[in-house]
Amino acid sequence: MNLRFSPVRFKSNSTAAALAVAAAVMLVPANLLPVLSTETSGYNRSDTIFSGTVELWRQGLWVIATIVFTASICIPLFKLAGLGWLLLSVRHGCPHDSRRLTRTFAVVDFVGRWSMLDVFLAAFLTGLVQFGEFSSVQARSGIVAFAAAVVLTVLATHAFDPRVLWPTPAKVSPNTSRP
Amino acid sequence: MGSDVNLTCRLCGHKHRPIRLAPGERALCARCSTVMATEGRFGPEAALVFSITGLILALPAALLPFVIAGKLGDERVCRLFTGVGALWDNGMRTLAVLVFLCGALLPVALLGAMAVLHVPACLKWHTVNIPSLPRIVHILEHWAFPEVQVLAVLIALIKLGGLVDLTVGPGFWCYCAMAVSLVLAQRSFNSELCDPAPVPCRTDAAP
Repeated sequence: MNLRFSPVRFKSNSTAAALAVAAAVMLVPANLLPVLSTETSGYNRSDTIFSGTVELWRQGLWVIATIVFTASICIPLFKLAGLGWLLLSVRHGCPHDSRRLTRTFAVVDFVGRWSMLDVFLAAFLTGLVQFGEFSSVQARSGIVAFAAAVVLTVLATHAFDPRVLWPTPAKVSPNTSRP
Repeated sequence: MGSDVNLTCRLCGHKHRPIRLAPGERALCARCSTVMATEGRFGPEAALVFSITGLILALPAALLPFVIAGKLGDERVCRLFTGVGALWDNGMRTLAVLVFLCGALLPVALLGAMAVLHVPACLKWHTVNIPSLPRIVHILEHWAFPEVQVLAVLIALIKLGGLVDLTVGPGFWCYCAMAVSLVLAQRSFNSELCDPAPVPCRTDAAP
């Protein structure tokens, strides 16, 4: 079978690779630095993304803990792994399973937005819980790094051109199909 | 739309001859099965109706209280932009701008852009040919996250349940309704309007 693959658009995919690497780098401080600090009746507590999730779990809020863990830890890692797989497949020149890779890209593209959950959560808590010495919440530098990682992964997904996963399309094409 | 106009799959680049879709029907890419076009279940006006509904709801969502929190007699009213203001005052201005854009400005801009695209077709006005507008809609779709903000507020309310007394305000319900309107408008949005065709919302029968 003599398939012609589209020439890889290095500009697009190298941009996606650079953005994905930058996002991976930003995920390190995002997960190591505290994202929120809480002061309740003189008691101070700073939480990273992971320790905040563990605390939710300890409080018995298992569903919330699972949602936060999925949105803030699993999805960013899944996106980076997915993008890495796609970029490596393109780099090796001949994607084996274009359909599966395209579906992976579609999933990566869809789930990306849910990583913003922690950023919105931190913004809302910072705005709402301001009761002076009784209770207050402050956003910390980790959330800035996390937001940067989320934005970079979204930009990396946009920069990636999924058409390079497929052979060059035929000039005359069949009709679309109905489900 | 002329029969020489092709529909190109955004994911695999495969070109197809346009086909006429019945209400509720979707056109899938023959190669990668991606949904390329949909004909709204509620007719071509649905996207316009949902867009305008969302735009109307955006105003009370921005002005009315989201959540009222109380602790030891102290009461604090939180609105849509309170968190943005707190981040700004905290010195995290870039983050504040990001939250403002993704949670408030871009969803409204997306609703507005979809309304502008649909008004001429639905009211049979002259088609406004703004070539960049469909592309703007496509970009805005990737950066408008109102549903994520709704989930974040719900999580915050559950998390704070034992810490402070909370009352959900009308602003939050308006924001939820706006987010739902946006999702429904996007689902009803007919990408065929991206092409300045004389008969939008329809594609020609396949030869």
